[in-house]
Amino acid sequence: MKTETAPEAPAVPPAAEPRPPARALPVWANPRLGLLIVIAVLVVLFSSLTPAFLDPRLTLAPLQADISVYVVVGLAQLAVLSLGHMNMAVGRMAALSTFAMGLAYDRLGVPLLVGLLVGLAVGAGIGALAGLLIAKTGVNSFVVTLALDFGLLGLVTILYTWATGGVSFAVQPSGLSALRFDTFADYCMGEVCGPRIPLVVPIAVAAALGVGLLFRHARLGREILMTGSNTVAAELSGIPTHRRVVAAHALSGLLAALAGFLLAANNGAFSANIGESFLLPSFLAPVLGGTLLAGGAVSVLGTALGATLTQVIYKGLNLLQFSLEELKLYIGLVLLAALSLDRLRAVLAERRAVSSS
Amino acid sequence: MRSVIRTNEFTLAVIAALGFAALAVATDFNLLTAGTLDAFLRFLALPIVIGLAQMVVLAVGQMNLSVGVLTGFCAVASGWLMVDAGLPAPVAVLAALALGAVVGLVNGLLVIFTRINGFIVTLATMTILEGLRYGVNGTGTYQGYSPGLRGFGQASVAGVPVVFLLAVVIAVAVALFFRRTVPGRHLLASGGNPFAARLSGISNDRALVLAHTLSGLLAGFAAVIVVAAFGSVNASIGDDLLLPSFAAPIIGGVALAGGMISVTGTVLAAFLVRLVDVSQSQFDINRRWVDLIIGAVVLGAVLLGQFRDKLSGGPR
Repeated sequence: MKTETAPEAPAVPPAAEPRPPARALPVWANPRLGLLIVIAVLVVLFSSLTPAFLDPRLTLAPLQADISVYVVVGLAQLAVLSLGHMNMAVGRMAALSTFAMGLAYDRLGVPLLVGLLVGLAVGAGIGALAGLLIAKTGVNSFVVTLALDFGLLGLVTILYTWATGGVSFAVQPSGLSALRFDTFADYCMGEVCGPRIPLVVPIAVAAALGVGLLFRHARLGREILMTGSNTVAAELSGIPTHRRVVAAHALSGLLAALAGFLLAANNGAFSANIGESFLLPSFLAPVLGGTLLAGGAVSVLGTALGATLTQVIYKGLNLLQFSLEELKLYIGLVLLAALSLDRLRAVLAERRAVSSS
Repeated sequence: MRSVIRTNEFTLAVIAALGFAALAVATDFNLLTAGTLDAFLRFLALPIVIGLAQMVVLAVGQMNLSVGVLTGFCAVASGWLMVDAGLPAPVAVLAALALGAVVGLVNGLLVIFTRINGFIVTLATMTILEGLRYGVNGTGTYQGYSPGLRGFGQASVAGVPVVFLLAVVIAVAVALFFRRTVPGRHLLASGGNPFAARLSGISNDRALVLAHTLSGLLAGFAAVIVVAAFGSVNASIGDDLLLPSFAAPIIGGVALAGGMISVTGTVLAAFLVRLVDVSQSQFDINRRWVDLIIGAVVLGAVLLGQFRDKLSGGPR
């Protein structure tokens, strides 16, 4: 008898049970859930205030197209936030890449996809250049990309003046207008038509899935995150941190280029002002979604929700006839409130976790 | 002597002097005529003060993205006080300064209470201020206010514009604050090593709040300079100040990590940026080349600083 009970004895005291890991916070402490609830509340609020909010053709389809652009913009910033870096040139990288696309369509008459690939390559290249400067010199990413932003701001306008004599390309590659105006509802198989979702949406979804998989499962993504959370430890673990910094910045440039392409498709023109409005939303989406500026952790789903929330607010207030400047006031207040609540929630969750254990 | 020559400030001063001389020769000494020189210095006042406003938060390792828009907001608000509310100019000036300081204080309090990164907090307040700045008077312009204040903006003492002198006085005051006063030393200590500062009995929170408040106050001074020297204010003021506010301290050798500042460097860098600006208007160069050049100069200055640090065996 004794020999049988003896092994059980150590398992009996509850103190020996493994404690729940620190990350297992209650469900309500998940920032993504909070965002989802806020979005749902706002959608209900806006649709009750103005029924036009639910108009599928005039409101919902353009809203989805806008969200697609800004999800990718947010991902472009997220790619370097993973390192604890910033990309202040995200908008201008998009502008330079869309210039390259426009030039390819205008001068070489390439098909839509080839031009897109050219632009993505340019975006990745300029991003890699920023990454290289940061990795080689050890200068703060903020300074490097800020200086790059200054430089590109000048360069893009000069290039447009040189190539078009104005601020935009007149060329319309075939397929661009389909991306701009068509939804899947326009494509039918017999009687069955697709949902009223613009054609640009799957592109953004694919980008989000790709980035999500990269950071969750791919070796490259994990190594970038480790570099972000502790560069010295990563270096000592045999990760080529310099190359990972370059890779993350190249990814940021590539995504910025993609966002520029989506915006050009939505606007129907490759013009110099693309990317001008990217900087603030690029930080809003990941930060609202719970990605820290410290690096080492990212949330792709949160970024998508953050972009959605911002665009729902813009669209809703816009329909309610608020001016653009008033919109900014509310977006800023929402950002502050969301972040403060997030902080409060984290503190409460920590307290509860401590008191229950 | 060697140590003086090795400093960033000395390099900048040499470059500034050479640049100024070269520009003077290239413009057939048009730059040295009273009118051109006056305009050169008059519009140098704003970049100096805005660069200092950014520098004081960089001293504690923070950033203030709202600094440009806050300048615009304070300027428009004081325009409103004078034109729509009919208050005298001194009240409007004091109100602009107070408003700047209060917004800065709010920034600082938000940073310490929410523990959110200052970059994000000021990004949010920048967005809010953009809305408020527009809300004061929409797209309208205030002009024709207090002749006394506008006269102050146009006045010169011995050929030197008064607003430029004001900017120099502010720069000297900021330099003395960081060099001679206890709170100023505390700010730098906290920015350089928060942990060591705390062990020495310095409140990091107080340093953060003080730095943000000072930054707001300096933005208020920048607003007063705008109101006085430009002669009219509207809701677009401040839009093009954010990047220059970073360019001046960064070219001037201020570390983003905090703990190290250079008032002289910031002022000289603002001078350099102004030189590029003036050459653009003198030679009728495309405005965009200026952005390109300033971008290259910022990057070049940073790389040069890095290179010098390597030569002298690590950062000072």
